[in-house]
Amino acid sequence: MVNQSDKTTTKKSRRDFLKAALATSTAPLFIPSTVLGRDGAIPPSERIIVGGIGIGRRGGYDLSCFLPQKDVQFVAVCDIKQKRRGEVKNIVDSHYGNEKCETYRDFRELLDRDDIDAVLIATGPNWHATAAMTAAKAGKDMYCEKPVTKNIEQSLILADTMRRTGRVFQAGTQRRNLPHFAFACELARTGKLGKLKRVYAHPAGMRALMSGWLPPEEEPDKEAVDWDMYLGPAAWRPYNKRLLDGFNFEKGGGFVGAFSGGGVLEWGSHCVDLCQWAVDDCPPPVEYHPPKDGEIVTRYENGTELVFREKGWIPLGSCPVRFEGETGWVEAGDSGKMVLSSPELLAGRQVEEIGGYPATFHVRDFLDCVKTRGLPKGNADAARDAHIACHAANIALYLNRTVKYDNKTNSFIDDEQANRLRSEALREPWRL
Amino acid sequence: MTIRNIIHSVLIVSLAAAGFNSAANAQNVSKEEQAQITVLQSDAPASEKAIACKHLAVHGSDAAVPELAKLLPDPKLSSWARIALEAIPGAVVDEALRKASETLEGRQLVGVINSIGNRRDAGAVELLVKRLNGKDVTAGSVAAVALGKIANQPAREALKSALAVANDDLRNAVAEGYVLCAEKLHRDGKATAAVAVYEEIRQAKLPKQRIVEATRGAILARGQEGLPLLLETLRSDDKKMFQLALGTVREFPGSDVDAALAKELNSAAPARAELIVQAMADRSDTVLLAAVLKSAEQGDAVVRLSAINALQRVGDVSCLAPLVKIATGNDESLAVAANETLTVLRGESVNKQVLAMVADADGATYRLLIELIGQRLIKAVPVLKKALASNDSETRAAALMSLGATVPLDQLGLLIDQVLSPDHAADLPAATNALRTASVRMPDRDACATELAKAVSKAKTETKSTLLEIISEVGGAKSLGTLATAAKSDSDALQDTASRLLGKWNGVDAAPVLLDLASTAPAGKYRIRALRGYLGLARKFSMPPRQRADMCNKAMKVATRTTEQKLALDVLKIHPSVPGLRLAAAARKNPKLSDHAKATTNAIAAALRKRGVNVDSVLSGS
Repeated sequence: MVNQSDKTTTKKSRRDFLKAALATSTAPLFIPSTVLGRDGAIPPSERIIVGGIGIGRRGGYDLSCFLPQKDVQFVAVCDIKQKRRGEVKNIVDSHYGNEKCETYRDFRELLDRDDIDAVLIATGPNWHATAAMTAAKAGKDMYCEKPVTKNIEQSLILADTMRRTGRVFQAGTQRRNLPHFAFACELARTGKLGKLKRVYAHPAGMRALMSGWLPPEEEPDKEAVDWDMYLGPAAWRPYNKRLLDGFNFEKGGGFVGAFSGGGVLEWGSHCVDLCQWAVDDCPPPVEYHPPKDGEIVTRYENGTELVFREKGWIPLGSCPVRFEGETGWVEAGDSGKMVLSSPELLAGRQVEEIGGYPATFHVRDFLDCVKTRGLPKGNADAARDAHIACHAANIALYLNRTVKYDNKTNSFIDDEQANRLRSEALREPWRL
Repeated sequence: MTIRNIIHSVLIVSLAAAGFNSAANAQNVSKEEQAQITVLQSDAPASEKAIACKHLAVHGSDAAVPELAKLLPDPKLSSWARIALEAIPGAVVDEALRKASETLEGRQLVGVINSIGNRRDAGAVELLVKRLNGKDVTAGSVAAVALGKIANQPAREALKSALAVANDDLRNAVAEGYVLCAEKLHRDGKATAAVAVYEEIRQAKLPKQRIVEATRGAILARGQEGLPLLLETLRSDDKKMFQLALGTVREFPGSDVDAALAKELNSAAPARAELIVQAMADRSDTVLLAAVLKSAEQGDAVVRLSAINALQRVGDVSCLAPLVKIATGNDESLAVAANETLTVLRGESVNKQVLAMVADADGATYRLLIELIGQRLIKAVPVLKKALASNDSETRAAALMSLGATVPLDQLGLLIDQVLSPDHAADLPAATNALRTASVRMPDRDACATELAKAVSKAKTETKSTLLEIISEVGGAKSLGTLATAAKSDSDALQDTASRLLGKWNGVDAAPVLLDLASTAPAGKYRIRALRGYLGLARKFSMPPRQRADMCNKAMKVATRTTEQKLALDVLKIHPSVPGLRLAAAARKNPKLSDHAKATTNAIAAALRKRGVNVDSVLSGS
């Protein structure tokens, strides 16, 4: 087992720094002058050279947020699927009016390019953490889709790796850069709701997701579909095209049978992330109870509860969150709207309603931080804590009993079974 | 005997030698574990053995190790076996992995070495060092990182030696492991030793990223003594190193660095200075505010913009006057940035100073301060009231906007008066906006609506409509009642406005009012509008099926035209339910609705059948 004492030793100072850096959460971002171009044009030397890894449906959307940025030059795409490599190359080439987007089957070749500054990682969740850490060690900054990690251990190592390598990491938790969610979190974080009693996240189904071991089918030519690279860090199984969707394959959890990350992780990595912001990015909850009446109740060190709740939401769109304090509450969702216990909480402020959870602002935040080397909103420390909360909740769900987590040792207290579920070996030759 | 069998035999013998006795321990093996071991021992397909490994990751003990170890050479199941082996604590697993590493090759060897590293097995250092110094560069590379994870003295010494002699392919991994050792030293309070390791790496021929990591470590491990290296790195012509310095600035302890950064600002090129000033502001506890403020006030415009923005995070009352000066200056982009910063500048003392300054201000400065009162939500109604008397229309507009943002309920009359009888006719739109802004933020909306309702009674007709619009935005029972009364007034204009607003009401609490108006509104056209608004509520809002069917039933009874009756059926179709089905089925008997009702009934029945509802009994009962 891993010695827990050698993790995140600078956690406290990093956490303090993070809070200070993100204190003006709803203030306009600083946009370096090189973004706009002093004379209307941006010289190539000032552009951020970006490559894409695993650009499918979600990645295609992310790409559409990157391409219009004047200070971005997208130069390469990697995918294990030949068809998709070609499709993305066409999109990029068409955007720039040239044929310069290079294609790769093995992302390590893309990372070997010295000219590339940053990568967009939008593979399936199976690859997110491993690809991100490989990219960091290759000296690339990265925007990485969520869920970022498959287990608690990966979450810890991810944050440590980004710190050690000095890379800028942005998880695809774009709601941190939307004004109404930011405002709701600010109300909670700054005491406007009174002492926080409960923060709610919507797991959108505590259902199981299973990658499985399906009957073998004839494996395609490696150039067309590189199955070995698709499996990557996931334990081996034979080729079956139904496993190729990426989105649900080995999503995380690392549990047995028909159980894997599921909604707690898929949606939790968004809405628990917002709850974490609401509690001022404090360490994740220390106590997790098994599901009861459609709720997984967890408790922070200070007594505030984080509740994964299926029902009872005001219809405000997907990914709702609710923060309840002793004197007020706020609820917000993907419609761009929020509901307050009192209009007084607005204090005269007008909060822009941006529905549909666009990632444009989040991408911009990332690119600005690539230049300033500041902390983006979805930084690795924030991602670590939100993901740990989700993984630990999943462990309570899987074991169907209460588990207690110690944030100092990063382990469950007197609970060997839970501790064994903190990590999972990667398939050879991959490592973190 | 095959190589695989030999490996198995070696493992079993070695485990027995280690004191492991599966028979003796059998009684301690859980049924769950034994069942999974049995699967591994059987001819079960690989898929079942894979899942057995996952179970053993949770339930396995020493007893499962021999069977798991047998799978390590298997390209398909090796990774599954390691999932269990990495998770099971204890020396028996360590020993099994070490033994396996002696005979495995290729990927399976790499996997086992990775697992040894992940388990921080100090007893494996010797064999890892052998791999590090062996001919297999791939195995040597993973061994180097595994040694870095173990990070004890022998591991560190091995990596030190390897860094000096390894070839280019291996050296990168050696440095990766060696950085991990340095981190461990630093964590353990051995900063001098850590610095030495970082410096060795910095001097080695390595990819830039390893040098970046070592430089960061070398700066931070030195503590305050690391400042010269930090500044040297900050001045580097190399972009990666400059970026590293910008990031490390934010982590660097103490306050000496803040003064040093202030000096750097003076000598750095603008493109760098604008980034340095952002880094300075991220050090909010120790930032040298005067330096940031100075950069905001003078110098290159790019740096000034950055500094003005940075003051949002670290500025205080000392920045107020300079920012006001910039915000009222001729450079538009600087003025906009200054205004944004003034709005969020922290501290109650800033608000006090705004009020102190406004007393002596005039012209553009006075106007800006009046705006700031609103933007910063400062309670200063008398000051704003005085500004309403200004001869300058822009100042009056600013005062109205600020009143909208700050006026309390008991002084709402100030804005109501400006709407009912503005001192300057041209101010009416601004006054109306201000009253709207103020009204919708009032915590006691019924009390606010009461004030507005009183104003309606005094207002001219066109102003009444404006006030009703605002009342509808306030919401609540009092607002609803006021609109209901207006909808039945003797003024066609008010009937029109009120029925329109009620039709858009965003809550089912308007349902009784709209249903009543559907039959009692003075004009037929407004009855229809009310009925449509009523049906809109039934369509839009979540409610129990019975309630929705009841609303549609009432609508159909009140409706004077088949158009609205069909709309009611459409609502039932959008929200299929058993009560809705009953109502639609009954409507089939109405000759004017028959076709529409039949289609609706069929659509609802089909939707319910998909949910497994037995609709035949419902339909036969109708």
